[in-house]
Amino acid sequence: MQASRARLFKEYKEVQREKSADPDIQLVCDDSNIFKWTALIKGPSETPFEGGVFQLAFSVPEQYPLQPPQVRFLTKIFHPNVHFKTGEICLDILKNAWSPAWTLQSVCRAIIALMAHPEPDSPLNCDSGNLLRSGDIRGYQSMARMYTRLAAMPKKG
Amino acid sequence: MHSDSIATNASNMPMASSNAKDFAKKKRMNRSAKLKQWKLDARREQWLSQVGIDTVKNKGRKEESTGRGIDGPLTQVGRRVRAMEKLEIRSRGEEENDGGSIHHDSDSKSPLNSPMSHTGSVLGGNDSGTNFTGSSSSSRSSSSSSSGGCCSGSMSEEDEDGEDGCLDDWEAVADALAATDEKQQLHANSLDTASEDKNVARFDSQPVSSIDISKAKPGAGASVDRTSVNCRAWRPDDAFRPQSLPNLSKQYSFPMNSDRHYACGASVWVCKNAASTPKPCPICYEDLDFTDSSFLPCSCGFRLCLFCHKRILEEDGRCPGCRKQYNYDPVEGEATLDGGSLIYRLTRSCSMITRS
Repeated sequence: MQASRARLFKEYKEVQREKSADPDIQLVCDDSNIFKWTALIKGPSETPFEGGVFQLAFSVPEQYPLQPPQVRFLTKIFHPNVHFKTGEICLDILKNAWSPAWTLQSVCRAIIALMAHPEPDSPLNCDSGNLLRSGDIRGYQSMARMYTRLAAMPKKG
Repeated sequence: MHSDSIATNASNMPMASSNAKDFAKKKRMNRSAKLKQWKLDARREQWLSQVGIDTVKNKGRKEESTGRGIDGPLTQVGRRVRAMEKLEIRSRGEEENDGGSIHHDSDSKSPLNSPMSHTGSVLGGNDSGTNFTGSSSSSRSSSSSSSGGCCSGSMSEEDEDGEDGCLDDWEAVADALAATDEKQQLHANSLDTASEDKNVARFDSQPVSSIDISKAKPGAGASVDRTSVNCRAWRPDDAFRPQSLPNLSKQYSFPMNSDRHYACGASVWVCKNAASTPKPCPICYEDLDFTDSSFLPCSCGFRLCLFCHKRILEEDGRCPGCRKQYNYDPVEGEATLDGGSLIYRLTRSCSMITRS
């Protein structure tokens, strides 16, 4: 309990210090609860998510960093490894491949990498996974781009 | 024509020769003379540009005729001092006082150090003159701390002992231990010293509280000083290292946080001396202490503190670096395991089997 708090505090200071280190990630801690974090990540370029800004919600367990943080998308995203309704993310490092050496920042980086390289063989979003598995790259991309435009981009006009 | 014009500039050629043959002859003669002149000029320029770095000795020799005769290593100090005067950095009296290796006395006496003295003294620092740099540093730091802290041995002892007298003792031990380790590191530091010049100027005005370095042990410091005469710059643990010099490792970890410099300068020095590169545990971000940093639980080389290692063994027992199961258990991990998992571990680890 105390260890997780201390570690999160250190991570908070690290984030404050290197605010401009990674321009694609904005990690902010809840004002009143250090176990709740929010991240804004930019969709990686040359993907259907380019130009979108996606919001992530972190819920950090008290056993952190021995237990992984729970992360989910708050912004709708059409991605085979993200549950379309709940935003739950299927990512090995958030489950059994977690290592205490990871940080919230590195989790964000891993999620950005997942956006660029979907794993259609372990889908949470079956529609998206099926499109990719059937080889309909174009269909997947246009769907993903549409949802990026609808949900992750500032409304126009 | 080109050479002609230069020859006139050199103005040691009689141009009035009417005879063409004679002219050519003289020209030939002159060419060698010119060459000499050029070489001299080039040398002079090089030399002038390096005043305070390499060739101060030559300069000093020139001035020695006017100066008093000093002998031994002090002569060099005197020469350098006089070279510095030429750069109009300080008044002569003070410097000679410093040069006389009465560091601590001179501390309190030289309140007027222009910021100019940094460039000068840092340059001088490259010239293997540890004696000199030491003395100049002590005088400089005294000026820097004259506002808040104080560096002179007599004053600071009374002022500081109440607060961190306890640090004082084990810092001395740490200094002695780290003295050899940081000798090499200092070479790297000395290269940085020049480039960090601006930082030096910036930090100069601080009453840096690492004073206790200089007051720590005049005796030990002096001996260190003497042994490292051929070192090119200060060691981090050098008693005469100017406090205004930034602590490099600290700078990198806290780039702009000058409050920290005020607040815990002394403790940072202590840390630095205890372990030249204190790394944080990648799990809890606490600094690894000596035991932790010699603790290597996994063959992948991933280091962590004993506390986190124990916690990981209580959970899934996998190395955070390579995610493989820790396949041997140091004693403290063993003790925490309950019977079942201990048996499980024993079956897996050869080293334990042989031991049990």
